[in-house]
Amino acid sequence: MTPNSAVDNSSNSLRNRVLQDPSFGIVSLLITVIIAMTILEPSFATSGNVTNIINAMMTVSFLAIGMTVVLIAGGLDLSVGSTMAVTAGVAGKFIAYGMPMGVAFMWSLAIGVGIGLINGLLITKLGIPDFIATLAMLGIGQGVILFWTQGVPILGYMNDAYYYIGGLEKIVGPISVPMIVVVVISVVMAIVLKRTKFGLELYAVGSSPISARNAGVNTHAIKISAYAISGLFAAVAGIHIAGRTTTIPPLIGKGYEISAIAAAVIGGASLLGGKGRIIGALIGALTLTLTRNIINLIGIESSWQAIVTGSVLIAAVLANRASAGFSRKRLRRMNT
Amino acid sequence: MKDNVGMERNTDISRRSILRTSALVGAGIGAAQLLGTSSAVALGGTQNASLDKAIKDIVKGRTIKVGFTPPVLSENFTQIESAAWRKMDEFQKRFGVKWVWERQAPVGDFNAVQGTLGIVQSWISRRFDAIAVCTGANFATVQDLYKTANSKGLKVFQFNQPAELYPENELETVSNIGYDNRWQSGYLAGTYLAKTLGGKGKILQLWGPSGSDWTRGRRIGFDKALKENPGIKVVGEADGGYVRDKGFTAAQDLLTKYPDVNAIYGENEEMALGASQAIDAAGLKHWNGKTGIVTIGADGLISGFKKIAEGKLTATVDIGGIDQGQNLIETIFATVALGQTVTQIINNPTQVVDKTNYRWHQAYAQWALDTPRKYGKK
Repeated sequence: MTPNSAVDNSSNSLRNRVLQDPSFGIVSLLITVIIAMTILEPSFATSGNVTNIINAMMTVSFLAIGMTVVLIAGGLDLSVGSTMAVTAGVAGKFIAYGMPMGVAFMWSLAIGVGIGLINGLLITKLGIPDFIATLAMLGIGQGVILFWTQGVPILGYMNDAYYYIGGLEKIVGPISVPMIVVVVISVVMAIVLKRTKFGLELYAVGSSPISARNAGVNTHAIKISAYAISGLFAAVAGIHIAGRTTTIPPLIGKGYEISAIAAAVIGGASLLGGKGRIIGALIGALTLTLTRNIINLIGIESSWQAIVTGSVLIAAVLANRASAGFSRKRLRRMNT
Repeated sequence: MKDNVGMERNTDISRRSILRTSALVGAGIGAAQLLGTSSAVALGGTQNASLDKAIKDIVKGRTIKVGFTPPVLSENFTQIESAAWRKMDEFQKRFGVKWVWERQAPVGDFNAVQGTLGIVQSWISRRFDAIAVCTGANFATVQDLYKTANSKGLKVFQFNQPAELYPENELETVSNIGYDNRWQSGYLAGTYLAKTLGGKGKILQLWGPSGSDWTRGRRIGFDKALKENPGIKVVGEADGGYVRDKGFTAAQDLLTKYPDVNAIYGENEEMALGASQAIDAAGLKHWNGKTGIVTIGADGLISGFKKIAEGKLTATVDIGGIDQGQNLIETIFATVALGQTVTQIINNPTQVVDKTNYRWHQAYAQWALDTPRKYGKK
């Protein structure tokens, strides 16, 4: 082998890796849109707007990471929005009652995990379909927060530290606490999914629960854990959004479950289970946030916004499918 | 169906019976004392023993069963409901009338209209005396439902509903207790902005979801104000979904493109408060009487008054929620208990509230929230 062919092979391998990456399609689409917007809209590529986009995508990012874990395990969590609202309410109310912020957050996280565990138990032990169990929990969560607050927003919990947690105050330059938390959680979860036994079992359970069970995997435990993780990240999102909005209206989580599912699916997670990546969840969250940002900057009339958002979702999924098809073709060519 | 929206402002106001204006001008306390729908229920100001006894004789031992359904549970509707409870408590003490109160809201947002229809249908079959509705449901659909209620002897009232957008003669309600979204909200906000900015400036608008009747009404009024003040230019607008976080994000996006705007209009207070946060996040200045960005919303919430006091919200349009709650009960009492007739449209006074006058509005809302009795609680 000549040195030149070694270079060719390595560049080929890098190119193949990029082209075969499941997110290649959606990333290409995003890059195209970003370039077009940079040319067409002068305010788009400003540091202020970039910071806004990143801050605005934090809530959906937390939820999408949790949703991706559940989707990989072959589940679906419709309760993340109401879990977020309940846990935001817990954090806000407890702080307003005078509880130290850290303790209030621990309660909030524990309740998030608790809701996730209940979801998991309902699905695995009682055999209730994922969709129904988490839909029921969505309703229960909404009911709890509405009954608790009587529709009145929760106020009086904001303090100096909470402005940092909500990302309204920055640590250094444009860097905010939620950005760091998202990065840390993403890295940890990516390692968990890729490098640990639990991660492998999660994919195995999602791909084929029967085969996983036959291979000795405790499928129930894995699924319950996935829902607990989703509940945990919904609570993280709740703690964060309470700081971002500085009041907690009871319907604060409304519709976030759809955004979380959309972000995870845009990022390559499969509703049939066994597929999904943390980086994909972040790309999905970015896609949704970017879409809304562009709609606002361009000034698309509000009745068109839903059409545009829906079309972007379809385009993103098609872009992913096209890139997956391209990868398969390429692999076949390489094998023959 | 003939639409009512194109009507000229002055004609419209004169045609409508704004029964309570004079009494309410004297401040919020007036609303709790005025008569309006009923000459017999001489409340507050004309209260005397023989009158009270005469009414007591009629309603003695009577229980009025009321269903109250807002489109969503929120601070605004909690204030309206608390004001209603205050009036119910007052009538119970004075006339001995008893109340059964049931509040149900559809779970979801302003568009969860199927929930409202189901709730009303259930009350019709349970033979409530009066049903009070505020909904984002289609006009024709709810009129059909109200017709069914009427045929079974139930009385249907609407509150806080943009009834002004539809032909009055097609309303199947006993009465609509609210305000005119066009001229008593959107128009007021637009003229206030124009006046504050000296008739010249660039503004951003945050609207509710497309298709909302409240949005449609307020936009008509705001557009009229813009027409009268050609120096005010709308440079950007977005859908803020009536909620704070969406209003915040939308305002942040718009402020990156238009950091030099002079004002932001939030069609409701939650979105205006989101805009206020976006101003802080962008490091821009709030209006200080001379410079900065003017923010104005509409509702008249306790949380909004607090922000006005802090200088984080320039103004809001108090849509008379407390009066609506009080007058709803007066109207129900007058029609159900005393058998009187009332006008189809009862518009309550509204007002732009800013630093100069927020205190009494705040105290009035707090007075309602501090109701001595809560109904419908187990």
